Amino acid sequence: MDGEKGQSDLFDSILLADERFRGEGYQEGFERGAHQGLQNGRRHGASHGARLYSEISFYYGFAITWKCLLQRNVDAKSRKRVKVLEFLLRLIQNFPLDDLQSSRLQEDTENLRTKFRQVCSMLSVPADFKDYMKTAEDISF
Amino acid sequence: MKEALSLVQRLSAHPDSRCWFVSWNPNGTLLASCGGDKAIRIWGREGDSWICKSVLQDGHQRTVRKVAWSPCGNYLASASFDATTCIWKKKNDDFESLTVLEGHENEVKCVTWAPSGNLLATCSRDKSVWVWEVDEEDEYECVTVVNSHTQDVKHVVWHPNQELLASASYDNNICIYKEEDDDWECRATLQGHTSTVWSLCFDATGKRMASCSDDRTVKIWKEYPSESGQDLSWKCVCTLSGYHGRTVYDIDWCRLTGALVTACGDDAVRVFKEDETANPDEPVFSLAAQVTKAHNQDVNCVTWNPKEAGLLASCSDDGEIAIWRFQEED
Repeated sequence: MDGEKGQSDLFDSILLADERFRGEGYQEGFERGAHQGLQNGRRHGASHGARLYSEISFYYGFAITWKCLLQRNVDAKSRKRVKVLEFLLRLIQNFPLDDLQSSRLQEDTENLRTKFRQVCSMLSVPADFKDYMKTAEDISF
Repeated sequence: MKEALSLVQRLSAHPDSRCWFVSWNPNGTLLASCGGDKAIRIWGREGDSWICKSVLQDGHQRTVRKVAWSPCGNYLASASFDATTCIWKKKNDDFESLTVLEGHENEVKCVTWAPSGNLLATCSRDKSVWVWEVDEEDEYECVTVVNSHTQDVKHVVWHPNQELLASASYDNNICIYKEEDDDWECRATLQGHTSTVWSLCFDATGKRMASCSDDRTVKIWKEYPSESGQDLSWKCVCTLSGYHGRTVYDIDWCRLTGALVTACGDDAVRVFKEDETANPDEPVFSLAAQVTKAHNQDVNCVTWNPKEAGLLASCSDDGEIAIWRFQEED
């Protein structure tokens, strides 16, 4: 009886080897893939995060510099400009930089870019900081 | 006599190019046109016919999409695909470029002056609407940038007697803006069209608005007092469908007669009249007249003369302007 059972196990292990190896291979591949994916994701996140951060830091530096230049002027035009610069600075300070999951991230980034464009327009500075800003490009009617 | 549209004159306004937009000056004596040839032309009546009085060139690097007269009639603003808006000042019989408004990221799609003449609004493919303030020294300053649309903004128009701005977009919506603590905010989003909203206009009172769309319909919106008293409430009270074979590109509500005129991608110009006896909450409009082959190609714009009832101008992708007279029933 024992011999018969041992024999059937042996045959089973041969017959089922295909399935077993496939399962193990899948598991191994899955783990490696997940690891690779995590690494890629981390790299991607780091590079995009850095780009976004450098864009926002640029706006911050720009706004601070102009505010310093204008804040001692008392004419109405300068006051108005300082007011908008302060608004931009507030937007930057309230930006959810620490909360990467924030649902506001996209919207806040858009608002920031738009406000920056308004500031440039008010200061008569051409907003062509291509190294820092993201712009959309395709055709339209 | 039956109501009809009769051709007064056809003008080859922007040859070998598209004519995108036409606009009457406030007293209805001049018509400005703009087109793909980067030029703006000013047309005036001489005797029985309309002739080109001046050509404004070198203001823009690309297509001029729209032109708008200031309420005083002494300034002209032009919106171009080169991302700028030019302000032209009338000097004797000519125009000189006064200033260039920069700021939009890409193609400026529309420009319009507020009835006060102190504010100007522009919109662009960059999805934003900008409001500019004009001071006594003809200096323009951007007072706000609003990002309420998720796509290309096609058209902006001011309310006839309140500081209220409306915009139409490729995102199928209409937004209405109001000033709030030195900043402009979107106070109402009108949803209903199922495709791009190309244009919109207010009626003479400003209580109603008509919009036209790529979904081949025209919608009439009416203002209602909202429960909270805070936000603006607009409801669609009428949809005109089945009349237009293609995209409806432009619509204009005559301030003198109350008639609506539409410009359509099926090359036709159509005039609609309101049934005065209908319930104001369920207005009824019917087709009063149409010219099916008004132009050889898409009709881009239609506009009623602000002073002479029944006179209207249309322009097309074929580069031509047509001037029409809408004859009322006797």
